[in-house]
Formats: sequence, structure tokens, C-alpha cells
Amino acid sequence: MIDAAAIVAGLGGAENIIEVEPCATRLRTEVRDASLVDEAVLKRAGAIAVMRTGVAVQVIVGPEADTVGSDIEELLE
Amino acid sequence: MSDAQATLVVFAPVPGRVVRMADVPDPVFAASLVGPGAAVDPIRSRHQAVAPVGGRIVKLHPHAFVVVTPDGRGVLVHLGIDTVQLKGEGFTLLAVEGDEVAAGAPVVEWDPAGVEAGGRSPLCPVVALDAAADALRLIADGGEIAVGAGLFTWS
Repeated sequence: MIDAAAIVAGLGGAENIIEVEPCATRLRTEVRDASLVDEAVLKRAGAIAVMRTGVAVQVIVGPEADTVGSDIEELLE
Repeated sequence: MSDAQATLVVFAPVPGRVVRMADVPDPVFAASLVGPGAAVDPIRSRHQAVAPVGGRIVKLHPHAFVVVTPDGRGVLVHLGIDTVQLKGEGFTLLAVEGDEVAAGAPVVEWDPAGVEAGGRSPLCPVVALDAAADALRLIADGGEIAVGAGLFTWS
């Protein structure tokens, strides 16, 4: 299972997250400060892999991405 | 998953040409991060994408869907690369999430030419979710494939 709260922490916390968009197998996110992203934390949270291009961070979580995405959006509200 | 599971034939969800997963222009699919499989470079005319296996549609987005077989194996069909960004435009759902479907049942109507015109690859990865790489055998490698023809086996 994917731990949504731990994903938020791995992305540098709620304040660091600009956007989370769930796709079929991944969360497409945009963060303010890429240096706050911790791949080890994301992987412990259940991420299969992390793809980074600057502040665009894709967290690969598998087909539960949309469920995880809504859990994260609730945490960010 | 048990070693004794039956060999599953995964059918082409769209007509086109078979492409190796490693050649898909997306690092997640190319590295088989969510599972191994094969891709189809679809014909460039509007058509119906169909279920690659029989089972329940557990996820249905306009641009991607997952069908899980009665023995619990999930197959993801992704219609084009980065097509989540289209927010459903150009895609018509022909089924409902939760539906039980037979292999070959229409799921989404779409237009690969329109996807390509928007600057995205219309390639369709077909992924055996969480499968071991050595569990798959390509049936047709690199050639033309009809919709509903065998794409790979999953044992």
C-alpha cells in the first residue's frame, strides 16, 4: 500500500507542493524547491521509482495512482 | 501469484504495429517500471480500443484503463504518451468503470492522428502489471497486428 502522508513528506511537505496530478500509474507533481524532495522517503512510502526534471517530479506508484492522488489532495487541503 | 496459474493471452487493444516496450518514448514504460509488456503503434484513424483480456475494468480514464482478470492479473492499456494532459479531449468512453467485459469489448474510442497532431506520441503501451519479465512471451514482434489478435502471453 502507498502511504499518502509519507509521499507528501518525501516531496518536501505540503508547503513545497504546487501541484499533484494523478495519471494511470504515476503522480505528476510540481514542487517549489526540488532539493527538498527525498527519494528514499518516497520509496519507503511505496513509490516504485522517482523521475525528476527540475521541479517536475514524477512519483511512480502503479495503478493506484488516482486513489493516492485523491488522498494527497485531501491532505493538502 | 502461484506458479500454477494458467497462461493468459493478452490481445492487441488497438490495430497497428508491434513495438518493443524498451522503444516507447517514456522512461517509466520503457524501463517496465510498472510491469513488462509490449506496445502497439496504432493506425492513424479514429477507432475503438478494446479490452486486451476479459475481466473487470477496475480503472477507466479517457486515456488509459486497467482490466483485471478473474484470477487477479491486471493489464494496463495506455492510449498514447502523456495523454493525461489532454484531459479527455478526443476520447469517448464506451464502458463504465467496474464493468465486466469480454476480451475484445470496446472500451474507449479515440483518434491517434489527433494525439499525434498535438505533438504527443500515440504509441499504446500494454502492460502486464507487476508481472515478472520472464513470464511474458511476445506473440508478434515488430509486425502488423490486428485489433484483438494475440500480442503476448503471460504465464
